[in-house]
Parts: sequence; C-alpha cells; structure tokens
Amino acid sequence: MLIATLFLCACAATPASAPAASQAGTAAQPAQASQAHTVSLTATFSPERLGAGTTIRIGFQVSTPAGRAPSPVTDVELLLPTGLSIATSDLGLETCVPAKLESEGLAGCPPDSLMGRGSAAAEVPFGAAFVTERAPVRLFSGPLQNGHPQLLFFAEGEYPVLANIIFGALVLPAQSPFGGVLNAELPLVPSVTDGPDVALVQLTTTIGAKGITYYERVKGKTIGFHPRGILLPKSCPRGGFTFAAHMTFQDATHASAHTTVPCPRSG
Amino acid sequence: MTQQGRPTRRGIGRGIASTGAALALAAAGAHVAVAAGHAPATPIPGHAARAVSVNDTGYLRLLHASGEILSEVGPISGTLPGTASVRLDVGSESVTATFEIRVHGGGSIAGTGRAKIGSDGRYTSFAGTLSVTHGTGRFAHARGAGKLYGTIERRSDKLTVQTREGTLNY
Repeated sequence: MLIATLFLCACAATPASAPAASQAGTAAQPAQASQAHTVSLTATFSPERLGAGTTIRIGFQVSTPAGRAPSPVTDVELLLPTGLSIATSDLGLETCVPAKLESEGLAGCPPDSLMGRGSAAAEVPFGAAFVTERAPVRLFSGPLQNGHPQLLFFAEGEYPVLANIIFGALVLPAQSPFGGVLNAELPLVPSVTDGPDVALVQLTTTIGAKGITYYERVKGKTIGFHPRGILLPKSCPRGGFTFAAHMTFQDATHASAHTTVPCPRSG
Repeated sequence: MTQQGRPTRRGIGRGIASTGAALALAAAGAHVAVAAGHAPATPIPGHAARAVSVNDTGYLRLLHASGEILSEVGPISGTLPGTASVRLDVGSESVTATFEIRVHGGGSIAGTGRAKIGSDGRYTSFAGTLSVTHGTGRFAHARGAGKLYGTIERRSDKLTVQTREGTLNY
C-alpha cells in the first residue's frame, strides 16, 4: 500500500493559463478525442426550476482504447454555462485553508466552506494490470488566488493507494456562451516505484446545497440551515445550459466534450 | 454652489470593517454645451449649474435574484438622501451595476458602475468606479463619475454601498 498526500493549487497555473481558459469558451466542440482518450461529460440540475436555487451535478469520464494504459489527466477546464454564478450563491460562506485541509483532513475545514460532494475513480497500476480505485470527493470554498475565486477538491483514496489528494480549481471568466470556467491542474499521484502514475478516469461532484447544512448564530444559539445553492436564472439561455470540458493528459494529448442541460420549466 | 459632504466610513460586518465600503460621485465638468462656432438660433433656457460633493451610504436588501443578477433596493443617506435601486451583475471577478437614486424632495439620478471583487467568504466586497449618466427633475442634467465601493453579505444578499470623493454636477 502506498501513502501519499498531495496538494497542488491551481494558483500554480502560469499567467498564460488564464487567457487560455477564457479563449476556451469559444472552442466548445462535440465530444472528440485525440488519439488516446475520449471524454464524456454529464451535467444535471436538481431541482430543475428556473429562478430557484439548484444543485449542479457535473462529471466527466475518460475512456482509453482497450489494451492501452490510461494517461493521467494533468489539466482540466470545466466550462459553466452563462447565467450560473457561484458568486451569487450562498455557498462557501467560510473559506477552507488548503494547509489545514492537508494536515487535518476534512476536520480542518469549517462546515460552511463545504460546497459539494462527489466521487472519483482512478486507474492504479497493480502488477501487470490496472486496478480501479474509487474515492469520495469533497468540494470546498478555498481562498482567493490572485483575485480569482478558488474551489478545493479533496479526494480520500484508501486502496490500493492510500492518498489524500487536494487540488484547487480557479473560477475564471469565459467567453459566451459560457459564464465561467473552473481551471485545475491536477497533481500526479505516484504508484509503484518506476511505475506509471495513477490516472484519474472519472470525477463527479455536486456544486450546490444538496446534503449540505450550514450553521449560524442566531440570538446566541447555533442554528443549522440549508443554503439555497446555485441560483438558476429566471430565463433560459438559448439552447439550454451548455457545459464543456477540455482535458490535457500527461502524454500531451487532449480531449474535449460538451453537454447541455435542456431548459427547465419556470419556477 | 458647492456643498462639501463629510466622508462616512462604517464597518458593516466581520471581515469588512477595514474595507470601509464607500461610493463616490465625481464631477464631470460643465454640463451645458453649445457646438463650437454655431450660435443657437433661439435662446436656450438658463440652467444654474451646481456641483455637489456627494458622500452617501446605502443599506439595501434583495428584491429579487436571477442567476448572476441581484436586484436590490433600500434607503440611502448622506448628501443626497433617498431610495436607491441597484441591479448588480455579479461575475467571478467583477461586478457591473446600474443604479437609480430617487432623492428626497424630488428628482433622481441614475448611472452605471463597474468594480472588481476583492474578497470571498461570507462577504463579497468590491471596489471600482461609477458614472452618473442622467437624472430627472432638478437632476435632469446630472453628470458625474467617481469611485464605487460596496459589500454583499452572501447569506442574505444584503448590499451596502457608499459614495465618496466626488462631486455631482446638475
């Protein structure tokens, strides 16, 4: 069993990465893949009601042709549709400090910094084959980086690689039809000595209030409440809410995908 | 006639007291203009220009929200007391605003603002500039430009804005 605790903040992204993320907003293409990988992207709202708070569930899955070893994802851009704003949500009323998350685990983050939950799967080299490792994921509000809001992903792997993986995703502007982009550089997770790195092949997370309780002091008492989550606009963007993902792999290949949530009914 | 308002600076909650949210209107020069070299054929009604240094503070509450848009309304006090209506488009890095202040005693001023977001957590603070573009009644000729500061309490979407360091011409 291997033990690792990794932290890579998206603030490590070079200044050039921000414009790239913005430009990516115009580059959404139907699901495609360069030679090695294909990516599928899913997104849902719950509830689906315009003008109301919702929880976004967004996820991607990486597929590799049979017989080929998956290459680790090193960079992810998740493009969010226009009309959705984390800034106008009441998610992340507190901030989780990466160093405390790294040293103390989930207990190191205040409850009011939790913004979502999900899961991840990685292909871990194990002997001559790969074993799929699944891990729960938590999403926290992180500190601003160079003026950009930041989300922190925390994945707790247990077997065969015992690893807590933390990485930050900056919330950056994007060009229409997208309203923002989550840009993350993923850390490489070593496996066996001289073996290939662990390859993330699936990540799903919510961004929203579902299953989240925050706390506040009211007249001297601590009261729990459910945040409203991400606020859907009262009118639907033309063609629905389009999400896209652009991924870069360790072997320098790229893959992209997009998906659209049809326009929900009005509130 | 120029009135010099006294700057206000109030802490409005944890984490932002030092921010001192403030909003300012600044003079944009004389309003009445005649195209150079073209004398008017008929006399133009006189307009006694005024320049007012404005320092106002507003505490607004959420009227409605839609996606990235927050619409807020509430009382504003200071040099030009009245009721402010503000529409904020909150992006990941910046806030754009349109506003209208219905001034006690009649008339209104309106304009736009743009500010960069500077904090996170429970409070979103912003700082930038604004322009007064038009008005009604006694402020029909209102023009101005200045600084814009504010905070949004994200739990309740309460908005605090202040004006500072500026003058309104009307």
